[in-house]
Amino acid sequence: MDAVLAQGFLNGGVYALIALGFILVFKSSGVLNLAHGQAVAVLSYFLYYMLVVWGLPAWLGIVLIIPLGAVLGVLMERLAVRPLLGQPFLSVLMMTLMVSFLLEGVRILFWGADSFTLPFTPRQGQGWLGTVLPDWINPSSALAFAVAMLVFVLLTLLFRYTKVGLSMRVVAADHEVAQSLGIREKRVFSISWALSGAFAAMCGILVGMVFTVTPIMGSTVLGKGLPVLLLGGLNSIPGAVVGGIIIGLAEALGSHWFSAAKEVVPWIVMLVILLIRPYGLFGEKRIERI
Amino acid sequence: MLPSGVFNRRPQQDMAIIRTRAQWLLLAGGLVFLVTLGLYAPGHWMNWLILVGVYAIATLGMHIMTGLCGQFSMGQAAFMALGAYTTAYLGTRYGVSPWLTLPLSGLVAGLGGLVFGIPALRIKGFYLVLATIAAQFIIIWAIKQQTWLGGTYGIRDMDKLSIGGVEVAGATAEFWWLTLGLVVIMLFIAKNIQRTTTGRKFVAVRDNDLAAEVMGINLFRTKLLAFFIGCFFAGIAGWLWAHNLRAVQPELFSFQLSLWFLGMIIVGGVGSTSGAVMGAVAIMLVDKAGPSLSTAVQDAFPSLKYQVSGAVSLIMFAVVVIFFLLIEPKGLYHRLERIKLYYRLNPFAY
Repeated sequence: MDAVLAQGFLNGGVYALIALGFILVFKSSGVLNLAHGQAVAVLSYFLYYMLVVWGLPAWLGIVLIIPLGAVLGVLMERLAVRPLLGQPFLSVLMMTLMVSFLLEGVRILFWGADSFTLPFTPRQGQGWLGTVLPDWINPSSALAFAVAMLVFVLLTLLFRYTKVGLSMRVVAADHEVAQSLGIREKRVFSISWALSGAFAAMCGILVGMVFTVTPIMGSTVLGKGLPVLLLGGLNSIPGAVVGGIIIGLAEALGSHWFSAAKEVVPWIVMLVILLIRPYGLFGEKRIERI
Repeated sequence: MLPSGVFNRRPQQDMAIIRTRAQWLLLAGGLVFLVTLGLYAPGHWMNWLILVGVYAIATLGMHIMTGLCGQFSMGQAAFMALGAYTTAYLGTRYGVSPWLTLPLSGLVAGLGGLVFGIPALRIKGFYLVLATIAAQFIIIWAIKQQTWLGGTYGIRDMDKLSIGGVEVAGATAEFWWLTLGLVVIMLFIAKNIQRTTTGRKFVAVRDNDLAAEVMGINLFRTKLLAFFIGCFFAGIAGWLWAHNLRAVQPELFSFQLSLWFLGMIIVGGVGSTSGAVMGAVAIMLVDKAGPSLSTAVQDAFPSLKYQVSGAVSLIMFAVVVIFFLLIEPKGLYHRLERIKLYYRLNPFAY
């Protein structure tokens, strides 16, 4: 039971990391980027390609893939989302979905149904991380959890203290106010999408280590990330972490008692929360006026 | 705007769906063409036509939910599955007549829609989208778990449909006529829902639900009704598909199919009834070109992996929808209206 709970808790960290990628974009531009899942998958496939076909060392691959992710994020924003500024929300949502279809199509074209394990995945009983941890903890999950917590702290600091983070919050709150303060909105969008793309690359590395890289990776990322996102609230960073851990634990317990339920437990938890607290645990409740 | 020289002299003329003699002629000609298509269309086109019919009915449901009432749904395929499984299970297990299960399929899907539509009262936008995605995953998962529904294998060997002793099954002209009949009936229903009090309530809720509530519209009831009607259509589509294939399995009703329906209403034009059908036809036409394109791609780049056809169909769908989102956000219907207007006003600009 301890092992089940520990694994659930650590997986929760990974889910939080996935959800943070969505929140980063939503917090600054108000777009729910459904292409995030496939971006993660494409980037981790590309990482594998660089490591195995080009024979790059692991550290160089990781150093290269993160800026590539940022470039992908900026490209998505410039080519797909920016032309739709001011359009109804269905259009923007549909656009991110179609971008995700494009990415998935490209991934299938080049890599088909291949699946593999990233070569630098830490294993039980091997290497420093594998020997320090007790044997009922999966070292790659532990690593992913640690990275997720680090990123969470960094993001909190970013949104609270830095000029970039503050300007992102202003843009999300009110476009006119942001413009009158002299904030260049378009640049803020680009920065947040670039950050989110870099996030996708990082998620690709960590999710690839924890769950291995498979053709269903994109939909797994989406399927875990969205419930966490909703549970915590669409624009709350601590919400993502708490939500991630709740979903991770619920999923671990659910699949412990009823093994077939693993994939739907997150969705059921999410629906229940939606009925009780429609804007998530930490989300801002929007007050609407006519 | 009416053509020059045509006037509405009676209120009935103003209310009519089909207004002028030319429209009646076009409608009759179109129907005759579609009916006779069953006699000479080759087999693969017949399959295609029937599939378009199935998708068109489901898209009409999406149109009522999303286009009219503004309640986004990404779970339409799962509600189709509810309808399809209802008829398949009742038919194979208890031998219930398929004609009895036609309304039953719709009802079961509609009730499923009600259950997942309940959160719609308190949430909207992204949150509602996610709730319907949850519906998609939960329903398909639940179906896969039930051994009495055949699990992932599904239900096979359904009885053939028969109308007055004539067997109607597979990609035949008879089945196409049945499909065509259902599409026309559902199109008529959808068009008329749009013109009634209910439809106008839907539109009011879509445009501003707070304002609608202040005007005395019961939001909960209206939103749930939209979900019920939209999913009822999905159930009917599922019934038709199940009897066409004479088998159902969970893989048919994928999340991707739900997104296809969303793409169809965008391509056709959000908020227009005939646009929903146009969108279904347009997307399926593009999809029909998929195999030839994918063989071309495969010939050109032999190093590509083996799943080229799936990838090409995904990319083509995405490209078409992106094209419409960027270039023609109001859809095919709007473009058609503009063309008609141009010819009515010609040679003047306005």
